[in-house]
Amino acid sequence: MESTAKFTKSMVECSLLDKELGRPFKPGARREATPEWDKDKCVRCGLCYVYCPDGAIYRAEDGFFEADTDKCKGCGICHRECWFGVISMVKED
Amino acid sequence: MDKFSLFVPNFLPFKEYFVPEKNIACSGCGLALAIRQTYKALEAVIEKAEWVKAGDGKLFAKLFDKSPMGNSEPSLLRIKKPGGELIICFDNEAGGSLEEAVKKAMPAIAVAEGFRYVATACPSYPFDLYEKVKKGLEAEGKAYIHILCPCPVAWQFDPELTVKIGRWAVESRTFPLYEVGSASAYHLTGTTAKPRPLADYLKPQYRFAEISEQQIADLTTTVESDYKKLTDKIQPE
Ligand code: SF4
Ligand code: SF4
Repeated sequence: MESTAKFTKSMVECSLLDKELGRPFKPGARREATPEWDKDKCVRCGLCYVYCPDGAIYRAEDGFFEADTDKCKGCGICHRECWFGVISMVKED
Repeated sequence: MDKFSLFVPNFLPFKEYFVPEKNIACSGCGLALAIRQTYKALEAVIEKAEWVKAGDGKLFAKLFDKSPMGNSEPSLLRIKKPGGELIICFDNEAGGSLEEAVKKAMPAIAVAEGFRYVATACPSYPFDLYEKVKKGLEAEGKAYIHILCPCPVAWQFDPELTVKIGRWAVESRTFPLYEVGSASAYHLTGTTAKPRPLADYLKPQYRFAEISEQQIADLTTTVESDYKKLTDKIQPE
């Protein structure tokens, strides 16, 4: 997976970041459904990767895309934006 | 072998700058998406970027007092650069009013205040957004970019629609994408021959659940006349 940059002090002032460092937060914990790729239909264009708000999608070694379940929040944007209907949102029990 | 040679991420740096462990953004956050894209464009100068509040200092007071956004506090990212600075406004319409949803006065105010590069952008158009942030960095003097960030929680829509809602805002001409370069030359970046009905943009948002057909008709008139005023500023090439 591509490396993530180190957070600089100024970047941490962003309102979307948890500044109370004592409160651990795992984005994946909020997920209600998980995206699943149908590789037969996927053209590996990477659009799903571009639109994921949480940068959860990465390119695996075979060139196909996958979601990092620790980061994915299950929003379903990737599912809506894929041109070929490759991604389905699978509910977790 | 790839069926298509188009590989979308080639247009953007692959490196991620906004994938923090403690990102408290909600599922489908348009603001998080916009920041993720913006940080990619800021790559080289990311150390110089700082988050500021609209209420901080006189600098922004001028921009925000005159606009319907006066009540909401958008997140602003400020990047100092030689001879000026780039200010990026992440507008998620936290004020929530209809007026705020259709009237975006800030870019015009920034032009009047002598900003050398002014643009509107939306994360539904990632490459456009990326280019504009780059241009804002390169422009001589002050630059301002207004980014519309759909918010599934405040606007009350299904989080999977975040990117679509942004696109509908642009296609309905509620939030036209344009840039203003040197000599205040306006330039539309992306045009729609036939606008999408305003209802397509407003109806999926439950914050406007009570809106009447008459209100939509009136707003359509406002949107169209604002759009006309904008296109009137464009010099024929
Ligand atoms: S957008 Fe669809 S076709 Fe493109 S890489 Fe993602 S899943 Fe595959
Ligand atoms: S469901 Fe949302 S968070 Fe999860 S991979 Fe898709 S776009 Fe990213």
